[in-house]
Amino acid sequence: MTRGEGHLQRVWRYRELLHSLVVRNLKVKYQRSLLGFVWTLVNPLFTVTVLGVVFSHVVRIPLPHYWAFLLSGYFVWNFALQTLNTGTYIFAEHSRLTRSVAFPSEILVFGAAGSRLIEFVAEIGLVVAVIAVFHHGGIPQSYALLPVLVLIQLLLVVGFALPIATLSVFYYDVYHALPIALTTLFYLSPVFYPATMVPEAARGLYFLNPIAGLLTLYHEAFYWGRMPSFHLLGGMLVAACTVYLVGYAIFRRYASIFPEIV
Amino acid sequence: MPSSAATPRSFPRSSERAAAAAVTLRGVSKRFYFYEHRTSSLREWFIRRVLRRPLHTRRAEFTLRGVDLAVERGEAVALLGRNGSGKSTVLRLIAGIYQPSAGTIETSGRITAVIELGAGFHPELTGAENIALYAAVLGLGRKELAARYDEIVEFAAIPDLPDTPLKYYSSGMEARLAFSVAVCLQPDILLLDEVLAVGDQAFRERCLGRLREYHARGGTLILVSHELDQVRALCGRGIWLADGSVVMDGPIDAVLAGYRG
Repeated sequence: MTRGEGHLQRVWRYRELLHSLVVRNLKVKYQRSLLGFVWTLVNPLFTVTVLGVVFSHVVRIPLPHYWAFLLSGYFVWNFALQTLNTGTYIFAEHSRLTRSVAFPSEILVFGAAGSRLIEFVAEIGLVVAVIAVFHHGGIPQSYALLPVLVLIQLLLVVGFALPIATLSVFYYDVYHALPIALTTLFYLSPVFYPATMVPEAARGLYFLNPIAGLLTLYHEAFYWGRMPSFHLLGGMLVAACTVYLVGYAIFRRYASIFPEIV
Repeated sequence: MPSSAATPRSFPRSSERAAAAAVTLRGVSKRFYFYEHRTSSLREWFIRRVLRRPLHTRRAEFTLRGVDLAVERGEAVALLGRNGSGKSTVLRLIAGIYQPSAGTIETSGRITAVIELGAGFHPELTGAENIALYAAVLGLGRKELAARYDEIVEFAAIPDLPDTPLKYYSSGMEARLAFSVAVCLQPDILLLDEVLAVGDQAFRERCLGRLREYHARGGTLILVSHELDQVRALCGRGIWLADGSVVMDGPIDAVLAGYRG
């Protein structure tokens, strides 16, 4: 491995491997499955249905077309959940590979996120189309923000996945702690309620969780169909880049000794 | 064999030949830590921090100590030694999987290291898909693979190879597939770690033939093997390692004689 090579150069040099890993993940997931991608949709749609029934008929959240609100955010949450889960186990799962081949091991995390991203793009495409037709009755201008939001989401989630995966190589506590942390995060993020329901006094604290900001961006753009405030959008861009750079730096610091440990 | 210039325990060659070095190790040491106690939970980490106790108690052990080694382009070198003498560590350092604790390593040319056969294979994928994946793992581009794909399939000589998922292969066939990818890569430097013992007799002989051909075309070969007859058939030079140091370095027959001792 060439030393002193920049991050992007390293990834570019191993683009074939990244491509192969993404293809492998998708092939392994969908082969021998008659319904294939439908299963990927069934799981979140089932959760959305349950949440939809509970929070519009039992605990009533006063939003018009509550189903559209849920749809506009839930798939984003689902992407974060699944990427963090698979990302955390990725080095243990590929220990033979890490021990016997010299390659930048972040490629494994990128591969996991990459195959999830392809599924997410298909999901969100369907979701925003459904919302446009049945909720808006047209396409609001804010829909054009989709690529920017996906970029923020990717930087943020991969930026968290890298250091968590690094930690899991050294401390197995991560495997026990992660499900608890993710469950907590689910309730502390505006997945089934809008962030505006959080008491104003607590909102500063609440938005320290960047997933809260990310979901709010999606709600603004696709449920409300309006441009999010510049304050929120700009802040989230900066936050996502910061999380990614810090997460990557933590990963890089320890990555060279992974082959000796996994 | 070009390696006839090697004399026992003489690593640095004359300066004009140094230009043709494929791999140079200077004073390379590798230290591993064996943990006697290791803090692996946050609660313990916190308590130990508060009490100002050390987080880990560990002892360092040198797997390699100050190894100097130069392999010239086109040489075929065998690393000999008992289990745990540091042979695989040398290969992993040359491949760039491990970083040395001290010393420097220089390499020139593309390196393919086959430390574990088929690392990266996936049982659910077909033979053809696994070839693509393993080739990417070993650093082969898609275009290069396309140019060599038929050769790989032919060399592996497994019936119905492309369309059968790997999990239906026998372990011998799986190893053959991995080996076929590795030998068809044509890198500048090929590192093999005890992977020559795969397949049946006929396949092994074809592997040996392929490696000789690779060497004859000027490829550099460094291998770890316990099959001494194979080693003798393939390599002109032997390096005998014990306890992380070079005991003897020279023509293969002399080193083998010393090693068998």
